[in-house]
Amino acid sequence: MTQQSETAAKSPPMTAPLEGVPLPDMERVPDYERGFWEGTRNGELRIQRCADCGRFRHLPTPMCPECSSLQYSWTQVSGRGFVYSFVIVRHPVHPAIREREQTPYNICMIELEEQEGLRVCSNILQVAPEDIGIGMPVQVTFMPVADDPEVTLPVFLPAPQQ
Amino acid sequence: MPPNIIPADTNGIRDKAAIVGIGETEFSWDSGRSELQLASEAIKAACDDAGIAPQDIDGLIRYDMESNHETLLTQSLGIKNLRHWESVSYGGGAGNATVGHAAAAIAAGYANYVVCFRAANLRSGVRLGRARGPERIAGGADSFAVPWGSMAPAHRFGMFVRRYMHEYGATSRHFGWVAVTLREHASRNPRALRREPITIDDHQNSRMVVDPLHVLDFCQENDGAAAVVMTTPERARELRHSDTLTLVEAAAQGSGPRNDGIVYRPDLAAAESEHTARDLWARARLSASDMDAMMFYDHFTPFCLINLETYGFVPRGEAKDFVDGGANIRFDGMLPVNTHGGNHSEAYIHGLTHVQEAVRLIRGDSTAQPPQKAINRVLSCSSVAQLSGAVIIRRG
Ligand SMILES: [Zn+2]
Repeated sequence: MTQQSETAAKSPPMTAPLEGVPLPDMERVPDYERGFWEGTRNGELRIQRCADCGRFRHLPTPMCPECSSLQYSWTQVSGRGFVYSFVIVRHPVHPAIREREQTPYNICMIELEEQEGLRVCSNILQVAPEDIGIGMPVQVTFMPVADDPEVTLPVFLPAPQQ
Repeated sequence: MPPNIIPADTNGIRDKAAIVGIGETEFSWDSGRSELQLASEAIKAACDDAGIAPQDIDGLIRYDMESNHETLLTQSLGIKNLRHWESVSYGGGAGNATVGHAAAAIAAGYANYVVCFRAANLRSGVRLGRARGPERIAGGADSFAVPWGSMAPAHRFGMFVRRYMHEYGATSRHFGWVAVTLREHASRNPRALRREPITIDDHQNSRMVVDPLHVLDFCQENDGAAAVVMTTPERARELRHSDTLTLVEAAAQGSGPRNDGIVYRPDLAAAESEHTARDLWARARLSASDMDAMMFYDHFTPFCLINLETYGFVPRGEAKDFVDGGANIRFDGMLPVNTHGGNHSEAYIHGLTHVQEAVRLIRGDSTAQPPQKAINRVLSCSSVAQLSGAVIIRRG
């Protein structure tokens, strides 16, 4: 966790997903990835799960890397996890981030509680960047994206310690 | 089923190929000329250094990111018959891998004079550090990253570095000593783009770009080209640098299991290039203690520490102490690293300049030549996540 004295001014937390950044084109997303986005549109975090050995995987793939099965389901997970790693982006590299003054923002790898090493990339809302730390428990929530009604993004909120 | 290992004594390229010429353009923020012009100039310079004509080249190994495809170069260079060509995937990952491929092609007798090169306007043209690509993403790793703002290499490598810091207690200050050392090396190098010496305080006070990475942890983005010419040791003895042969002793490539392994591999604090390191040492029958210098792919300064550990110069977690204060990794220290100033301060040509510097060190004409010892063997190693390559170059 970034050490910060109590008196130091903290940066504002994110309150919503970033605006104006490139989004997936649902018309062109490959078949083996669509279940993720169908899940988020329905307010569920669904992760690809092997129908034979039962292991979850992300990023999605057509075949199970553990047992080579081509059969899988999109299984809703609890949405609970913890911060595995993170960065605080202070310098914008995309015009929409720069023009809409969306820095600082955080990017986190969230490890989901269902399986060791099962991670998704996301943002944590409602927490000042200085208060984000590895191991922090989080819970998924879903936010529509202003730029495209077809896309709903999973983002995370701080959760009570388990 | 055959065992999924390569026998340790398999090293079909050992000493079968020599690097006989190195050449580059000037490095700049805006070359003002085409990438084909840059490639032609760098390859010509490497041929001049070797003492051959561009028309003698019959093998080309390029990066797959390279815009200069084979037929453009056969015409520009006057190659009558290109007997062998390859492109190697990725930028940093291809860095040393091109040299390994060239050595294999020479050992197999596919070509007599093989050139590895990289030429790009990475500053005035398409900048890799900037968000790029279409406004809509057609799936894949980007679609699970860019919507949350992970859109530049520093974002993903920053998460790798954060986890490494968390596991081993390395701090930004340790990375700062790498920056100070690389800049000191560059200050002696007239080719280098950034030559103004910096202090540890300069590093610590420099702008935070992607916390935990300060701007002085980043490599540069610049224009330029670099090339190396390789051939058999027998031909090398007839060429311009016949007095000092620089041989490729071993090469290795490796990967991890995951797409976008920079952030998805099982243990984010460990480098996927540990596979590359293990194969390299087994093939060479050498270890880190046999190396006189290390040229590492410094896209970000923390990867000095991670390479030192991955290739076994120090135990896991102890590189922070090894680099502290910078003395051990200076050109006059225990293990000179990136004596040209690296991607950080000399120029970013996707790691090929590191191979060139290894050759200079063995020839004894680096601008930061270690005064305390002869340089007989150099490890040049590339990126540490996803696809990586490494070579050992030795005095023949
Ligand atoms: Zn399976």
